Formats: sequence, C-alpha cells, structure tokens
Amino acid sequence: MNSNPSLSNSSRFEGCTLTGALSVLTEVRDAVCIIHGPSGCTHHNFSLLHATHLSNDRLEVPRLLTTRLTENDIIFGGEEALERAIARAISLSPAPASIFVLSTCIVETIGDDVAAVCARDWGIPVIAVPTAGFLGGVFETGIRNALSAVASLARPATEKTLSANLIGEKNLEYDVDENAAEIERLLSRLGIAVNLRFVREIRTDDVGCLNSAAVNILREPSLRPVGEDFKRRFSIPYVDSFPVGLAGTCRFIEEIGRICGIDATAAVAEEKVFQAKMLEEFADIAGSRVYFQSPHPMLDADLDAKTVCTECTDALDLVVDPDGTAIPLPYPAPVGTTGLRRMLHRWRVLIRGMRQDKAYSKRPKREREMPPG
Amino acid sequence: MKQIALYGKGGIGKSTTAANLSAALAEDGLDILQIGCDPKHDSTRMLMHGTWIPTVLDLIRERGEAEITVGDVVYRGFSGVRCVEAGGPEPGIGCAGRGIIATFQLLERLEALKGDVIVYDVLGDVVCGGFAMPMRDGYAQEIYLVTSGELMSIYAANNIAKAIARLSRRVRSRCTLGGVICNAKNIEGERDLVEEFARRINSRLIAYIPRDRVVQIAELQKQTVVEYAPDSNQAAVYRGLARTVYENKTTSIPKPLETDELESFALEFVQV
Repeated sequence: MNSNPSLSNSSRFEGCTLTGALSVLTEVRDAVCIIHGPSGCTHHNFSLLHATHLSNDRLEVPRLLTTRLTENDIIFGGEEALERAIARAISLSPAPASIFVLSTCIVETIGDDVAAVCARDWGIPVIAVPTAGFLGGVFETGIRNALSAVASLARPATEKTLSANLIGEKNLEYDVDENAAEIERLLSRLGIAVNLRFVREIRTDDVGCLNSAAVNILREPSLRPVGEDFKRRFSIPYVDSFPVGLAGTCRFIEEIGRICGIDATAAVAEEKVFQAKMLEEFADIAGSRVYFQSPHPMLDADLDAKTVCTECTDALDLVVDPDGTAIPLPYPAPVGTTGLRRMLHRWRVLIRGMRQDKAYSKRPKREREMPPG
Repeated sequence: MKQIALYGKGGIGKSTTAANLSAALAEDGLDILQIGCDPKHDSTRMLMHGTWIPTVLDLIRERGEAEITVGDVVYRGFSGVRCVEAGGPEPGIGCAGRGIIATFQLLERLEALKGDVIVYDVLGDVVCGGFAMPMRDGYAQEIYLVTSGELMSIYAANNIAKAIARLSRRVRSRCTLGGVICNAKNIEGERDLVEEFARRINSRLIAYIPRDRVVQIAELQKQTVVEYAPDSNQAAVYRGLARTVYENKTTSIPKPLETDELESFALEFVQV
C-alpha cells in the first residue's frame, strides 16, 4: 500500500482518502481516531492497518472507534452519535491525549457538521479531518489532510534549532525506519539532527516542537502542498523528496546545506567515498547481463526507478540484454545510498540465482533428477 | 387500487387540494389512504380536525422499526380517510429524502399500502431521489401537477415534469402524468395560461380550482372545505376534481420545456 509517488502520476493507486489519513493519524500513539460513519469503514481500515503493521513486525493495535451509523442516523443526522463517540473516547483507559475525527462519504453527503461538534470544549484537542473519498480525494489527499490536521497541535514561535523534520513518511511501506535512518545519517554529515518524524511513532505532545526545525524534508514530491502549507504557517523551507540515486543523494546533501547555511563540500566528498565503497561490495556482479522489468503496468512511468537503474548499471558495468537476469524496477525507488545497497543485494540474489539455474540446467539430465550431494 | 401523487411548488395548495380530494372520494364510500411526504407533516391535518398525528419517522426514531404496528402509523380522519404522515428530521440536519425511502419500506412491510385510492402528497419539489420515491417502483402510477398561473409555480411544475419523464423510462416504475390542476391565484388569463402550459408539456388541464375565501375559513376551523361547507361552490369543485381524477384513464409521458421555451412561453402571456 503506497501513496501516489509523484504529482505527475496522481492517478496511480487511487485508493480511499480515509485510509490515507489513518496511515498518518494512527502514528500519533496517544491519540484515538474516531471514524464517523457506518462501522464497515472502521472495520475495513482496522483490518488493513493491523495486517500491514503485523507484516512489518509491529504488534500495536490501531486505536480506532466508529460512530456506527445506521439508517436512522442518516435520516435524522449523525451529530449526536458523534458526540457520544467523542465522550466514549475521552473515557477510555488509557485516556487519549488527543482525538482525530475522520469523516466518511455518507456523513459529508448528509452534511453533518463534524467541525462544529469537534470545536466544542472537550478538554483535550479534538480535531476534525475531512476524509470523504467521494469528493474527489485519493489516498494521497487523506495523507495531506491528516498532516495539516496534526500540525494544528504545533506550538507557535519557538526558536529554530539546527534540525530537520521528516514530513509524511509512508508508514505502510516496508523500509520506513531504514529510510528515516538513512536521512538521519546524511543529515549528520552536516551536523543536523532530526527534530520530529512527522508523523511516525510520536505522541501528541511531541507535535508541539514541529515549529522549531530549520528545514522540512518531504517524503516525496506529491507532498509539496503540505511543504508549502508549512512554509507559510511556520516559515520553514522544505526539500521536496527523500534522496533517490547516487547523484541525487549528493544533491540532497548540497540542498540541505544551502537551506541551512552550511558548506556541504566536505560532506558531499565524504558521501562520494562512502558510495564508491558501497559499490565495491558488489564487484562480484560487475559485468552481469540484466533486464529490467516493470513490476506492474501502472508503475511504468516511475522516472526515479529508471534513474536508479541507469546509474547502477553504469557504475557496475552491467549489460542490459533481453536474455539477462530479469530484475524488477524498484518501487518505491530506494532512498539514499543505503537504500541502493539494499536494492543491489536483491539484484545480486537474482543474478546469482540465475547463474545457478544455468549451471544446473547445463548438467546432464540424470544428474539433475538426483538430489545434489 | 389507484395510486396518485400530487406534486407542485411549495405553498401552492397541494395539501389543501389533496385533503379535499381525499374527503370527496371518501364521501363516495371509497377506501382512501392519504400519505403526507413532507417533514412539515401537515398534509392530513385538516382531515384529522387539527390533530397532529405521530409521524412514521418519529416512531422509528423513538421505538425502532421493529416495534411499530399499522395502528401506530395509520389514523382515521374525516369520512374514514386513513391518514399517514412520513415526517422527517429536524430542519437543517440529516437526510429527509432517505426518510421518505425508509417510510415507504416500513409501510410496505406493514402492508399498509392498500385501499381503493392512495393519495401521496409530496413536498414542494423533487429535490432528490428520496422525494421521487412515490414516483418510483410502481407506487403512484399517475402524477398530478398542482400549479397556479404564477411563473415560479409553472417553473416548478415543469421541473417535476422532467422527473416524471425520466422515471417513466424505467422498467419498474409505471409513473405517468395524469394532468395539471390549476389552483388559481386570481391572475388575469390564468386558466388559459395553465391550460396552454399543460398542452405544451404533452398533458392537459384536468381541473381549475378558483380562489375562494371559504378555503381559508375552513382551514381556521381545521376542516376540509368538503366537510366544513359541503354545499359551497368550492366543495362542488373539489367533488368534480375527485370524480375526474378517479375516472381518469388518459395519462401521458410529459415533454418538459427547455428553459428558453419556458421563458418565451411566459413572455407570450404576460400583458405588457
């Protein structure tokens, strides 16, 4: 489950706005998310989040509540059901530090005033997040709406520190923490710390410091509207994507340095040495014949993936040949230099596997039928 | 069983017309069911001598659907007319259209939709699919448009004709336009205007109801004209309407006018 990777291809993975928003909001660990709609909207998303978390070795259960609307609530309006659900959420143990209220298609259709119910004095922040999918939004819209909503918890005008926020990490992908660690590694070359992972395994209170970073690093370019929004609200400039590719990673360091007023020359030189060493680890597959395949027709247009493949093909003198080892184009494109290293490990497994297959098929048939050894 | 529905602009006199129509038919010994399909729930009030009967949706909200019997929703009014009010949510919240759909489902389940004639009295305009419910699924087979000679009222009637034309194409609904009822506002040339409008949308004027003070007086007495002033001219007009509607065999698929046609039609009739 990935969000749209770029603005130029926003039709990709259309998906549900509500799911996109929940992928962000459930990462505020001391919050409860109320989904204002029929119980099915909650059940479906609970299953999806829980299953995805489990496959990423995360055992925590998303804290979702439903207002469980039925036909009568639709006819007479669902605002009372929402009030009851908010009261119930507040009374839960452990008590939530904040509540996010997500709307669904049906409540937006009948015009329930979710924002007005949330605006009452509930004693803790209760934040409305518009997530009705039928209004034209997709998974990505949900992520953007959710990020904007959580940002309303930020405290105003603190002093800026030499630090960066990671904005809109894709919480449902496999390498979330590895990717964040890579950004942290690259930033450390410039002496910059990570201020806040916005939003990944944080608490309501943590959002208060959102404002104090010197730069926001967006996960991918489709989050530019969020970057612009935060630039306007908090005067924080942004970089529009995690780095992709060898040259892209060096450019990333330069850009961060430029924004933070730090000379990045030495940091880039160090990273180039690091990249060269990384590539040396794969000397054994140099010169191999490979053939890149799109893992799915919808992913054909991902330019980042093609850039990465071209760079690595050149660096390792690989030969592109239709009879070569079939290698899927990486999706999402690997992040930074260590992302490339993980990708090249996978390539090596495929290339070696092919060599073994070939060696195996060249043996006499009788030998092939006998188990080796 | 004949099922008819009255549609028209808000405030044009649909409920007054429907209640008098039902009263006149009931006087002839027919078994009549009148269903008010409007959250304002005032369709059957004159038949009930001013009593506000519990609405179907209030009962659903208070008790839940399972606890409701026919006796809870159907009330006998003047001359034995059986009265039902759909009701709806509080103004400004919820979805009244869905309420109408829920009401029909409940009445269907309670087997309440029976009698010699069912009269559906529907709120101002066909604002959504819910309020088109009486036209759908074979409920009302004949729609009567109530209009005066005022342009806004004609516009509304034309709009409803669009809904009838659309729904008449569906297999399951058998709804057609039974005719146009002119509920007069005493405008000069009103009858000719409405008659011509009816002709142009492929229908006909089936009744002209003149404006009469007795309607307001009867209303203040919380009665239909047919009950309050049985010997009046107005009562005779309503009886005539009832007979025409009951015996009507001629219906049509309307051809609603385009906006520019409506405007040029209006210009022809305005005395400059």
